Amino acid sequence: MSSRLEAEHLYKVFGRRPSQAVERLRSGADREELRADGTTAAVIDASFTVDPGQIFVVMGLSGSGKSTLLRMLNGLLEPTAGQVRFDGQDLTALGARDLREVRARKISMVFQHFALFPHRSVLENAAYGLAVQGVAKADRVKRATEALELCGLAGWEKSWPDELSGGMQQRVGLARALATDADLLLMDESFSALDPLIRRDMQDQLLTLQQTLKKTIVFITHDLNEAMRLGDRIAVMRDGRIVQNGTAEDILVRPANDYVASFTKDVDRSKVLTASAVMDTDVRGDETDCGCAGDCESVTPDTPFAELCAVSARTTHPVAVLDDERKLVGVIPAQRLIGFLGEQDREAAHA
Amino acid sequence: MPRIPLGDWVNDAVDWLLAHMGWLFDFLKTVFTGTYDGIAAVLQAPEPLLLAGIFAVLAFWLRGTTAGLLTFAGFAFIDSLELWDDAMVTLSLVLVATLIALVISVPVGIWAARSERVSGLVRPVLDFMQTLPAMIYLIPAILFFGTGASAGIVATLIFALAPGVRMTELGIRQVDKELVEAAEAFGTTPRDTLLRVQLPLALPTVMAGVNQVIMLGLSMAAIAGMVGTGGLGGRVNEAIGQLDVGLGSEAGVAIVILAIYLDRMTGALGTQVSPLGRRAAAKARAAQGLRIWSYRPRPQVAVVGIVILALVAGGMGMFGSKGDDTVPVADGKNVGQGEKVRIGYVPWDDGVASTFLWKEILEERGFQVEAKQLDAGPLYTSVASGNVDFMTGAWLPTTHEQYWKKYGDRLDDLGAWYDKTSLELSVPSYMKGVDSLDDLKGKASDFDGKITGIESSAGETALLKSKVLKAYGLDQEYKVVDSSTPAMLAELKRAYSQKEPIVVTLWSPHWAYNDYDLKKLKDPKDAWGSGDGIHTVARKGFAAKNPVVGKWLKDFKLDEKQLTSLEAEINKAGKGEQQDAVRTWLKSNPGVVDKLAPVAKSAAAPAEAKIPIDVAWFPWDEDIAVTHLWKNVLERRGYQLNLKQMDVGPVYTGLASGDLDLNFDAWLPYAQANYWEKSKDRLADLGTWYEPTSLEVAVPSYVKGIKTYEDLKGKADLFDGKIIGIEPGTGEMNLLKNKVLPGYGLDKEYDVVDGSTPAMLTELKRAYAKKQPVAVVLWSPHWAYSQYDLTKLKDGKKLFGEGNTIRTIANEKFPEQYPQLTKWIKGFHLSEGELGTLEGEINAHGQGHEDEAVDAWLKKHPDVVERMTPR
Repeated sequence: MSSRLEAEHLYKVFGRRPSQAVERLRSGADREELRADGTTAAVIDASFTVDPGQIFVVMGLSGSGKSTLLRMLNGLLEPTAGQVRFDGQDLTALGARDLREVRARKISMVFQHFALFPHRSVLENAAYGLAVQGVAKADRVKRATEALELCGLAGWEKSWPDELSGGMQQRVGLARALATDADLLLMDESFSALDPLIRRDMQDQLLTLQQTLKKTIVFITHDLNEAMRLGDRIAVMRDGRIVQNGTAEDILVRPANDYVASFTKDVDRSKVLTASAVMDTDVRGDETDCGCAGDCESVTPDTPFAELCAVSARTTHPVAVLDDERKLVGVIPAQRLIGFLGEQDREAAHA
Repeated sequence: MPRIPLGDWVNDAVDWLLAHMGWLFDFLKTVFTGTYDGIAAVLQAPEPLLLAGIFAVLAFWLRGTTAGLLTFAGFAFIDSLELWDDAMVTLSLVLVATLIALVISVPVGIWAARSERVSGLVRPVLDFMQTLPAMIYLIPAILFFGTGASAGIVATLIFALAPGVRMTELGIRQVDKELVEAAEAFGTTPRDTLLRVQLPLALPTVMAGVNQVIMLGLSMAAIAGMVGTGGLGGRVNEAIGQLDVGLGSEAGVAIVILAIYLDRMTGALGTQVSPLGRRAAAKARAAQGLRIWSYRPRPQVAVVGIVILALVAGGMGMFGSKGDDTVPVADGKNVGQGEKVRIGYVPWDDGVASTFLWKEILEERGFQVEAKQLDAGPLYTSVASGNVDFMTGAWLPTTHEQYWKKYGDRLDDLGAWYDKTSLELSVPSYMKGVDSLDDLKGKASDFDGKITGIESSAGETALLKSKVLKAYGLDQEYKVVDSSTPAMLAELKRAYSQKEPIVVTLWSPHWAYNDYDLKKLKDPKDAWGSGDGIHTVARKGFAAKNPVVGKWLKDFKLDEKQLTSLEAEINKAGKGEQQDAVRTWLKSNPGVVDKLAPVAKSAAAPAEAKIPIDVAWFPWDEDIAVTHLWKNVLERRGYQLNLKQMDVGPVYTGLASGDLDLNFDAWLPYAQANYWEKSKDRLADLGTWYEPTSLEVAVPSYVKGIKTYEDLKGKADLFDGKIIGIEPGTGEMNLLKNKVLPGYGLDKEYDVVDGSTPAMLTELKRAYAKKQPVAVVLWSPHWAYSQYDLTKLKDGKKLFGEGNTIRTIANEKFPEQYPQLTKWIKGFHLSEGELGTLEGEINAHGQGHEDEAVDAWLKKHPDVVERMTPR
């Protein structure tokens, strides 16, 4: 599958003589040196690709450059160096007018603080992107109403943004982004301002919508749990650089460095880990080799950790992990499960 | 430190601008005065209370019932203070300045909001404009724009611009960044981002800026009064100059009422125009439910209310204006002196025409004329009983025979002014071969057997039917179609335009002969009889009592062409516009007025009187007196004077630039030397009219033992070491500080307190009331000497110099332009007694009644007019 969105060696430097700063970064200067000169390197050499229908999560603490990175993707900020390609089109080479056209039709955005226009009704807000595109009024109303319905806001069209709760406001923001039928959805900490229960609802809703809509989504967050829940792939940023780019499991089980590892400490592994991450792959061979006669319990590599525990509790033997072709790919002894949990508990105790 | 000649640079820059950018300032001046005149005309046209009603409806709409009622009360109050016109002048000024300020400041504010660099550049400029003392740019404003509205607008503008720019910038900048980003993220163009997101959300703040612009504009109104804008500011200045706290506070309160009204209205408008504000207001109202005091009509209702009132106001303005657009009457021609004359008329064309002609003529000769329309019977009765002075429409001896018989002994026949009246049948001249009544015979088929007649009751109809037709044997052939005069005329018009044959019943004089080419059919058998003359008939004794008018009326004659063309003009203008029609007619018949109502040749104004003279005056007693005296006298000689009250600096500047013509109160060669020196190349000194004057320090006479400057020595404790001064930089202050005090060795002991004339007078008043010792800088003549018992300190060493004299100064071109007037002014002198009594008279009549005061004084000094302006 060809990638839909590609970022290649993106740099963004704020301050004086940015291109010169990029040269220095390329030749190994670090961020602190530049800061001493009064220039800020927000994003340094960021490269990644996003496949169609994928949710790509960029995770990092505040100041890590993730929002800057996002804004380079739709040209709100011009990269100091590097390229952004969307559907094969080099966005960095476009003029202001063409860029606006791309933003109006192909890329939409959902904001942290919703950014709803207070002087427009819910319907007018949802229809905003369509109005910019120049869609006729009747069509605009129809499509905006549909988008609101999709986001669970049917009946609220005539309300004003300030009459809605935070979660509902962000649904309007989401509806506004979906109404334009853009292929790429940029979500900038979109759920961070919501309280935890509502945040979870919104995450669920986004996943449900994604099952039918199959948008390409770049999602920014500072919350690793959220990243793990939503992300098909996760890029972890620190100090302007992408320090690791991989699946949730990669991040959790094979952290690229201590920073990422320390980041993942607080994650509830039982919810994220699957059999494939826990199993002992050293034991290879036929199912019969496991040493149990027929009452051997087996799971697939995707089986979540919580279920593994249940399965493991029913048997004295290690649990076999079988792939689609029922070939043994690994075994999970009970001690190993407890070990992973213990690791978590130990970390919790540390925290 | 080397002296940096900043002042010289500024002077050079001003000179350069004057020389090279004149066209620009002229253009701006045209724009400013044009807008101002427009708005002022609209605001001043309607009746005060009607306009107050319009303002009240606006308040009712924007803020509710209470606001509406208070608005009406407030404006009615201004009207009752007799400050209405001034208030409207000020309001116009502020509105124009606001309008222009917004046109400039909103775009600049937007620009500044979008560019840090512009913002950084604009900010110090705004600070500069807002804090630079207004007096400093008032003078250049006069140089560039002349005195009056434009300079006032510019001054107000400079001062009021800043909040407009600042608040617009702030409003746009404080729009949530994320919202702007959201707009951009959806591909909105910068222009739409501004118009659809930033401006709507910034609107409440921008409106707060508008509000500030208006408030600052109003606060400038008083200062703008110094450059002759008039209005409430002028009143305030005048009051300050004369220490009239009462008048000052009246004008001040009027300004406050305007300010509060404008503030509340723009505040409410801010809520109304911004979508967010409107929604919040609607919510609040819904929560509150319907209440009478905060009830607000919907915009439609308010608009309808305003339109209705405006229409009424417009209508009243039109009719109202007719009442008072009296032409100023030159003295030589002012025979009437405001005497009342009542003319009666019957609504016949000739009666109307001659009556309104006389109304206009007599008004031009200074009479107050009332024209009454009456039926013939009541009219004769009125004239006979003396309720009406004369009528010009008496058809004698035949038509009005009965009335004459009845009232003739109580009437004076002043003779016929038109004697060729006749009754006749007429046909259009395109009817070939029909020239006399005889010719009608056998042509009945041409005319369809009809003679278009008039009212069946009219004498002419009776005569036609009973005598004329029979005499020519036409009675079998023709039928007289009775209808009415208008119907006859309409029929004539219709037929004439289609060139159809027609014969109508008509009489001479009639405007139809002017408008159409008609033939009066000859009456060789004299069947119509001989015609009446149109006479002027007056009540018994009127002509004897008013010999001049009597003679005019006796000599009154119009020929047929004059009368019919006048009737046609009046007919064209329509009812209610008769007098305008007369004026139009008089324009195309120049000289008629002088022929009909001749006045002595010598009384005619000299040619130079045609150009109005701009006279600047200071609100100082002697100047008020002399200026109004000249105004009164010169208007008798046919001159027109525009009086402008201003401060000393602006007056000299205005005179030098030619924007002003005259000032009667130049204290030279010392007191105003600084101003004179600066502009003397472009000024003309028309000589002294009052002397001697003196400059001095004065103390109340209850301060014993102080008669001379030497006496002040060692008494500093008594006066707290202070001499209360006037405006720093004036000639007198400079003399005092640099020569007098050092000369008497007082400079170590005493400080001269810089201030202003009003402040000095206030301090004097305060100290005098408490009988405290005080030493003030004063000059003679000054009303303070008549008000308080003061001692002028003797200047033994003559350090204040010989006294100034009060002179008349003018623009350098004045003597060329007004040779006669220049001669008069050069020969002009007033004695101390004359000036004193004149000032006294003016004080006695009170502010605003100077003209009457001068009239009264001139009656007591009958020789003065002739002395000032010998013929």
